Amino acid sequence: MLLLEKGIWFGLAAVGFAILFNVPTRTLIPIFIMGALGGLTKLQMLSLDLNVIISTLVGAALIGFLSILFAHKKHAPPPIFAIPAVIPMVPGIFAYRMMLGLINLAGDVNQATYNQILSETINNGLKVMLILMSLAGGVGIPMLITRKESAKNIRFRKKS
Amino acid sequence: MSVKADNNEINALGTTLLEIGALLMVSGASTGRIRNNINRISNSFGYSTDMLISQRTLMLNIYNEENGHFFNSLKRTQAHGVNFAIVSGISRMSWLVVEQKWSVEQINTDLIRIAALPHYPRMLILTFVGLAGAAFCRLAGGEALDMAMVFLGSFCGLFIRQEAHKLQFNPYICILFAALTSSLIAGLPIKFQIGDTKEVAFATSVLFLIPGVPLINSFSDMIDGNLQNGLIRGLNGFIISFAIALGLLTSMLIYHF
Repeated sequence: MLLLEKGIWFGLAAVGFAILFNVPTRTLIPIFIMGALGGLTKLQMLSLDLNVIISTLVGAALIGFLSILFAHKKHAPPPIFAIPAVIPMVPGIFAYRMMLGLINLAGDVNQATYNQILSETINNGLKVMLILMSLAGGVGIPMLITRKESAKNIRFRKKS
Repeated sequence: MSVKADNNEINALGTTLLEIGALLMVSGASTGRIRNNINRISNSFGYSTDMLISQRTLMLNIYNEENGHFFNSLKRTQAHGVNFAIVSGISRMSWLVVEQKWSVEQINTDLIRIAALPHYPRMLILTFVGLAGAAFCRLAGGEALDMAMVFLGSFCGLFIRQEAHKLQFNPYICILFAALTSSLIAGLPIKFQIGDTKEVAFATSVLFLIPGVPLINSFSDMIDGNLQNGLIRGLNGFIISFAIALGLLTSMLIYHF
């Protein structure tokens, strides 16, 4: 699959959720761009054989920085851009496999396969949890390093 | 007489602030954002504010150090439903209140306007959520048939969720119905062996239900130190995920996968 095509799908998923969350119309195009760029960053890092958790963290941090940039331009709070934009990176397939694993674990104990299912389920579950944490943490990075209460007080250039 | 007028102002402001807080809470703002917005508005009137914010109830105490007036009240929040137009509108308003020194009446008028902001047309929401589902499917490696089934599944699933919501079912039950509907539709080609389908369609058809706002707000609340609210929001997200899984399992039971 082409990189550009994947970017479009990431952006489309972000815009779908943005419309579900009823964002103001002026924020839809920035959300598409942010979703696409964040997702592509994650994929690019994954293709360099980096850990999925670190890749997600970097993608989410990029979305966090862009959200502050667009918040200034479009006059809306940063989370409005950031939350729909990171949702395409939510680990849906891992969560699905974890749920299936949990159900299997609650079933009969078959010594031959139980240990394998157990380790796969724990692996998937931990990935889900850590990816979700890095999504929320990555989006929060700009606010944490600038130590401001509101994005309105963050300046990109020094005052002349 | 002037004392009484002041007293009226603090009462009116307190009621308005609670209204703002309750609106923000149900629309999906994080706890820190609610506290910032309310502090910003009440500071512009010269009051000091203390709040207790929880998922279902808000408690507010505003105090004027000059004349000793205070206001103290509780407000229960309505059912939660994410609406970022309200979060954005109130944030913009709170800055206008500070910059232009609005009166309480002006805030109330604007608040009525913000609360009545329209949603997108229903067909547009359904179509774009369907497209988002298809996009998830494509990203997970699905082909054209998978994407079409996921589109249809998400479209009908969200429709069922909205209808169940209108019939005033419990919100988690609404999600269970939606997950069941969309996974039943997305599972059809697998059941009848049409085309070269995989589990991808089945797994991604319910992704439009993922509790993104509760989970992300949960972690941002915890980073902020609002541990109690963070835990509660996380638990809410967990129960939603459980409802989704239950819907998926039910359709697996029906199809004997």
